[in-house]
Amino acid sequence: MGAVITAEALTKRFRRPVKQAGLSGSLKHLVRPRYTEVTAVDEVDLSIEAGESVAYVGPNGAGKSTTIKLLCGIIVPSAGRVRVCDVEPHRHRSRNARNISVVFGQRTQLWWDIPVIESLRLIGDIYSVPAADYERNLAEMVDVLDLAPLLDVPVRQLSLGQRMRCDLAAALVHSPTVLFLDEPTIGLDVAVKAKLREFVGLMVRERGLTLMLTSHDLGDIEQLCPRLVMLHSGRVLYDGPYAELTRRFAWETKITSTLAAPPGGRPEEAAADILGVTRAELHDLTTLNVWFDMRVTTYGAVISGIVDRFAISDISVEEGDAEDVIRRLYSGDLKFSTEDVS
Amino acid sequence: MTGLRTHPLPKYLSIARVSAQEAIAYRFSTIVGVVTIFIWVLILYFLWQAAYAGTSSMAGYTWDDMRTYVVLAFGINAMVGWRVGYVMMATVRTGNVVIEYVRPLNYCLTQISRACGYCLVEGLVSLVMCLLVGITFVDIELPSSTASAFLFALSLVLGLLTKALFVFLVSLLAFWTVSGLGLMWMQQAVIQVFSGTIVPLSLMPDWLRSITSVLPLRGIVSTPLTFYLGKAEPLDAIGLLGMQVAWVVVLFVLANAAWRRAFDVAEIQGG
Repeated sequence: MGAVITAEALTKRFRRPVKQAGLSGSLKHLVRPRYTEVTAVDEVDLSIEAGESVAYVGPNGAGKSTTIKLLCGIIVPSAGRVRVCDVEPHRHRSRNARNISVVFGQRTQLWWDIPVIESLRLIGDIYSVPAADYERNLAEMVDVLDLAPLLDVPVRQLSLGQRMRCDLAAALVHSPTVLFLDEPTIGLDVAVKAKLREFVGLMVRERGLTLMLTSHDLGDIEQLCPRLVMLHSGRVLYDGPYAELTRRFAWETKITSTLAAPPGGRPEEAAADILGVTRAELHDLTTLNVWFDMRVTTYGAVISGIVDRFAISDISVEEGDAEDVIRRLYSGDLKFSTEDVS
Repeated sequence: MTGLRTHPLPKYLSIARVSAQEAIAYRFSTIVGVVTIFIWVLILYFLWQAAYAGTSSMAGYTWDDMRTYVVLAFGINAMVGWRVGYVMMATVRTGNVVIEYVRPLNYCLTQISRACGYCLVEGLVSLVMCLLVGITFVDIELPSSTASAFLFALSLVLGLLTKALFVFLVSLLAFWTVSGLGLMWMQQAVIQVFSGTIVPLSLMPDWLRSITSVLPLRGIVSTPLTFYLGKAEPLDAIGLLGMQVAWVVVLFVLANAAWRRAFDVAEIQGG
């Protein structure tokens, strides 16, 4: 099986109007409009195999939604190449639409005022799904997503969680090859989130669906996507296994020791002498925090260094977790550096 | 599971069906929307009654013709109501238009199918109102002949398509303006004047008539009613129908081109 989604140097630039504040600013813009160019997606390379599940993450405005829109054929790329199931989405929008499906967590594709079943049937008609396939498909989803009590209810009367379940079913009526989920669990409670993830995971395994997920919820990513692509200012900054992210970026780890007695002299300097330690801080007289670089040393070496220098009563280590890494990457606290020291 | 099916419905037909259901779901506003239009019928009825007090015919329209014209003009105009434009503008404003764009559908045909679905319900209410007002109060005439009834029906369908396409084009402007309310008001006024709903074209001043007689909007009300009242010679009839068909084609091409252009503008709004 070849790649289902490929993008080569995919770029999208927007022209944004520059308006000054106030009425005079608006008038000026009317007379002589000025624009700035914004590069929302900047030379993105992607290759996603059939059946793969990929998380597409990045801070707000990183270009995630724009990429999804490019892959759906909704917008035309400014430069670069893009193919989804061997179709150029923007050139053959309708043909592409048959291969893909999109669920936007903040929008519904169901008709607001009519019972859910009618929306599902209409979607079946739009994609000309043969009646037998439609019935079999629907029966499966009604069963797994527990939709039976919801089918005759108009969408506007559903809760957000119920609506999302119906929206997922609607997205799979025509058995797409690729499923894009854009913030699917936004605003949902823990139980509903778990149920949705379970369902999506099942569909990926059983139907060989290719999944691309954008989410700020790391639980979604952790459970569904072994691979993670991180975007920042329109550029791909990381593309690899989710688990690798921690090893790659969370190399700075902390050991917290409680000292038996307040140390004399300059404990920070003494601790900083240990090989691989990047910094050390003393709090509340007896709490010593030591950060070190995991790539050059080990927990054991640093702990024995601390024990050699101080009398300690307690010690705890903190494992770098992905959430912390991503949070720090978003806020710019952690710099992206792709070169490894070792 | 309700109502097993042996075949999927053709997609645009299915959209029309669901749209009709939507209009039924909002039956109260659908009915109110049509009924309030008939207030105009009463106002104009009394106005024309006063105008005809001293004369038996104006520009070829007798009092019998005019009574019929007033009722049917508003009845026809109510068949494609505000809903289709309103719904489309709402999807543009909220960005939900994106969802319609990721389906294997022609956006313009989708909206026309919607208009047809709504028209099924709004048209029915309008028909009931026409009969109610027409028989009990205004005493309207029947079509002048079988041929004119047939031409009227044909022309009416073309007129409905014309209106749906015009509403589509106006609604596209919502991509550029923030509020659609002004557009809706403007659209309603323009259609009422240029279609001949308020005043038949032949009663307009020459300069206005020369404009309205070539514009597509006359096809919505004026042309069908010309057939209904039997005021078109056979040769004129071919010309009028030909013009309606031509305008539907032109508007459809224009609507699709404008849609693509509008969507390019809308890109900017996305994140």
